[in-house]
Amino acid sequence: MAYIKGAGMSKFDVSRDWSYERIYECVNEALDSGNTSLDDIDAIFVSSMEAESNGERQKHTAPMISSMLQKKLPILTVPAGCAGGGVALWNAIDFQKANNANNVLVIGFEKLVANISEKVTDEMLRGGERVYEQAEGMIFPAQNALVAQQYMMRYDVTSDDFALAALKNHENAFDNPKARFYKKKVTLDMIKNSPVVASPLRLFDCSIPCNGAAAVIISKEKTDIEISGSGISTNKLTAFEREDMTSWNSTINAAKLAYNQAGITAEDISIAEIHDAFTSVELISYEDLGFAKKGEGKELIRKGITKINGALPVNTSGGLKAKGHPISATGVSQIYELVLQLRKQAKKRQVDNIKYALAHNIGGAGCVTAVHILKKVM
Amino acid sequence: MIIRWVSEDGKRKWIYPVKKDIYTKGKIIKQISTKAKVIGITKVNIPSPMHPITPYNVILLEDGYGNRMPKKTMKEYKINDVYEIKPAKTDSAVIIAKIKYDIYEYLKHSLKLLHNYNISSKDKILIKPSIIEPAYSYQAVATNSELLDALITYLRENNVRDIIVAEQAMLGNDTIESAAKSGILDVCKKHEIPFVDLSKSEYVEKTSDNFSFRIAKEVLERKLINMPVMKTNSQIVVSGAMENMLRVVDENTQKKMFEQDIEETLPKLIKILPNFLSIGDATIGMQANGPTLLGEPAFLNMLFLSKDPVALDSVFIEAGIFAKPNYIKEAALMGLGDSDTNNIEIIGDELEAIKYPLKAAEKNATAHTKIKLIDGKANPYIYNTALKMSAKLVGLLGQEINLVIGSLITKDMLQEKTRLVAYGKEAIEKLKPLGIKPVAEIPEEMDDIEKIMLLKSILQNPDKESITVIDKLKSKIASFGTKIKNKF
Repeated sequence: MAYIKGAGMSKFDVSRDWSYERIYECVNEALDSGNTSLDDIDAIFVSSMEAESNGERQKHTAPMISSMLQKKLPILTVPAGCAGGGVALWNAIDFQKANNANNVLVIGFEKLVANISEKVTDEMLRGGERVYEQAEGMIFPAQNALVAQQYMMRYDVTSDDFALAALKNHENAFDNPKARFYKKKVTLDMIKNSPVVASPLRLFDCSIPCNGAAAVIISKEKTDIEISGSGISTNKLTAFEREDMTSWNSTINAAKLAYNQAGITAEDISIAEIHDAFTSVELISYEDLGFAKKGEGKELIRKGITKINGALPVNTSGGLKAKGHPISATGVSQIYELVLQLRKQAKKRQVDNIKYALAHNIGGAGCVTAVHILKKVM
Repeated sequence: MIIRWVSEDGKRKWIYPVKKDIYTKGKIIKQISTKAKVIGITKVNIPSPMHPITPYNVILLEDGYGNRMPKKTMKEYKINDVYEIKPAKTDSAVIIAKIKYDIYEYLKHSLKLLHNYNISSKDKILIKPSIIEPAYSYQAVATNSELLDALITYLRENNVRDIIVAEQAMLGNDTIESAAKSGILDVCKKHEIPFVDLSKSEYVEKTSDNFSFRIAKEVLERKLINMPVMKTNSQIVVSGAMENMLRVVDENTQKKMFEQDIEETLPKLIKILPNFLSIGDATIGMQANGPTLLGEPAFLNMLFLSKDPVALDSVFIEAGIFAKPNYIKEAALMGLGDSDTNNIEIIGDELEAIKYPLKAAEKNATAHTKIKLIDGKANPYIYNTALKMSAKLVGLLGQEINLVIGSLITKDMLQEKTRLVAYGKEAIEKLKPLGIKPVAEIPEEMDDIEKIMLLKSILQNPDKESITVIDKLKSKIASFGTKIKNKF
C-alpha cells in the first residue's frame, strides 16, 4: 500500500518563470508538507511534454532534475500528453511497491504558454494523429467539439449544460490562490456569450493553457492519506475510430481498476477532480466514472450535485477550466487539491466529511487515462 | 476516401496499412469507400501554423462500413449530407490528394478522377521522375521511389508492358549514381523496367517560337508521365511540373534556355512537347533554399495531379503561398494552360483548405552567409558550381562578396553592391559593357580547386580590389598540391 506524504504546487499562470523555478518551488512545498527531506527520496518520476516553442530547449529532463535537486537517483521521465502527471504517479506507485521504496517523488511540469498562440496551438496539435487529425485541422478543441456534438445529439445535452460546468469551476477557482482565474469573476453571461472556438464549443468551454508545476511524495510509511486505488488504461489515438465516441473506454477501464483495488464503487466517492479539458468532457466523465448513468451526466450539473456544496463536489480547485491546464502538471495538481481537501487545508473551498477522493486525468481525447483514489486513514 | 485495414475475421480494424493481423497472423483486407455521410461538423476559429486560414470546417464522415474520418473543408455541409468526390470535368483540373498512409490507393483514386485520361495496354510509357543529384529519399530532391513503385504497379495492373523510366541529373552529377541513391533504380529493377539515362539519348531538333530545342527522342515517341518533386527553386521560385521537363533536352539546349531567359524559354519547351500527365510528388516536398542547396523537407504528404502543368504549378504555388513566377504567367499567355486558380477546377482536397505558407527560396542565398549571389538567370551548371564553391568556404570568416552569374545582369541588380566577383563567361562578358570592373573574374573552365582558392583569397582579404598574378599563382600551386596529395 502506498501513502501520500506531501504535495506541492506552483501557481498556475502565464508568468515568464523558468521551469526549474516552478519545480524547485513545488518540490520544496511537497517536502515541507510531508515533513521530509530530499535525502529520504529513493526515486523520482517526472512528466513533461518537453514543449519546443517555449524557449527552454531542454529535452533531457531527468538529468536536468538531477542537476537541480542534486540527486543521483533513478529519475524516470513519463510523458503521456495531458495525462502525464497521472501516469507518472501510477508508475511511481508501481515502482514503490515493486522495490519496497521508502519515498518516491512525482513531478509534473510544463512551460506551455511562452510563445504566440498559433505556436502553442500547434504544440498541442502534435498530440493528435498525424495524418487524420493534424493534417485535417483537428486542433484539440475541434476533436472535442466533434465528440461534444455527437454527445449533444444523442443525449439531449445543451450548450447551457456545458456553461453550468464552466461556471461551477470558475466559482471554485475564484477562491483558489494558485488558480489561473483566482479572484477573477466569471458570469454565466460571459460564458454563454464567449466566442466560438470550435462549434459547439465556446472559449469558456475550453480549459485554459498555462504554465505550472506540481509535486507529490508517495511513501510506504503510513500517513494520513492512503492511495487505495490506482488504474490506467489506454484507447485508440483518435476518438473517431472508436465505436462509441461519446463514452471514453480508457476512463471506464482505469476507474474500474482503481475502484476494484480500493474495494469501493463510484457511490463511495465524496469528492473528485475530473479532467475537464472541455466542459463536455466533464459531463461525459461523470458517466464514464460511474457517477451517472449514460446520458444522464447533465442531471448532475443541472441539479447542482457537483457544485462545491453539492452531494459530490467536482473540481473544487477550479479544474482544468479555471485553475488552468499546464499539460503534464495537471494530473499531479489534482492530487495536490485532494490532499488539501483531505487534510482540511482547502480553506474557503473546504468540503467536509470526505472519505474517498478521486482524481481523473486524461491524455488526448480519451486516449490514456489515469484514475487514483485517495482515502483519509488517520 | 476512407480506408481501413481489417483482419480476415473482421474483429480488428487499423487506420494504418498493416500487412498482417498481429494476433492471428492472418491476412488483412482493405476496406475502401469513396462515399460517406456527414455525421458531424465543427467550425474552427483558431488559426495554427498548418491551418492559418480561419474559419474552416472539419466534418466527420462515416461510410457504409461504419468507418469514420475527419475532413477539413471550407464548404458548408449539413448533417446527413453525402460526401463524394466527383471526377473532373475539365482538362485543366488539378487533383489534390492528402495521403492517408496508402500512397498506392490515393494515386489510383486520383488517376481515376482525371478528365479523359485513359491508360491502354498498348501505351508505350515514359515516366520522367525528378533526379538531379545524389541524395537520399528523405531529402525529397528526387521523386519518392514509393510513389514511382505505386505508379508502375498501377500501370502493370492495367496491362501496360512497355514502360521506361528516364531522366538525366545534369549539373555535373552522375545520373545512375543519383538514381541509385534515391531508390529509383531499385524500383526499376523490381519491376524489370529499364532506366534510361537521357544524357546518352539520341536527340531530335525541334523549333518552337524561334528557339531550337534538342529533345530526347524517347520523350517524343512515348506517352509521357511527368513525376516532379514539388519543391522550391531559388532561381525560378518553384520546381514543379514545368521545370521537371528541363531535363528532357540536352545540356547545351538547357544552357541556352537559361542564357535566353529561362522564364521565356521554358514555356516554349512545354509548347513543343506532346501533352503529358504530371503527378506532382509532395509526399514530402521541399521548402526553403531548394533544390541545389537541398532546402528543407516540407512534409506535405500530398499528391497533385493534372494534365495541365501550368495549372498544377499554379495551384502548388498558391497552396504554398509563393509569388507567382513569370514563366507561369507567360505559359498561360501562350495558351499552354490555366494559371488562374479561380478558374482551375480543383478536385479532392480544396485549395483553400490546404494553404499554408511554406518557406520560399532566397534568390541570393548561398551556404556561406558572406557570399551572396547576383543571379542573371545563370545556367544550372554555373548556378550549381557557384553554390558548391560557396559551400566549400563555409566556416571561413571574411568580408561580403557578391558573386555575379548569368547573362541577364542589369545595372539595377548591381546598384550599391560592392566586391563583385564575376563567375562564368556570360557574367564576365556582361559586366564589361556595363562599365563595371569586378574584383575578380573566374572563368567556368578554371580548375575547381583553383576557383575555390581564388574565392577564398577574396573573401579573406577585405582590402583586395583586384586579383593579382601572385593570387592566381598561389591558387594554381594550391590546386596542384591538392591534386598531388589526392593522387597518393
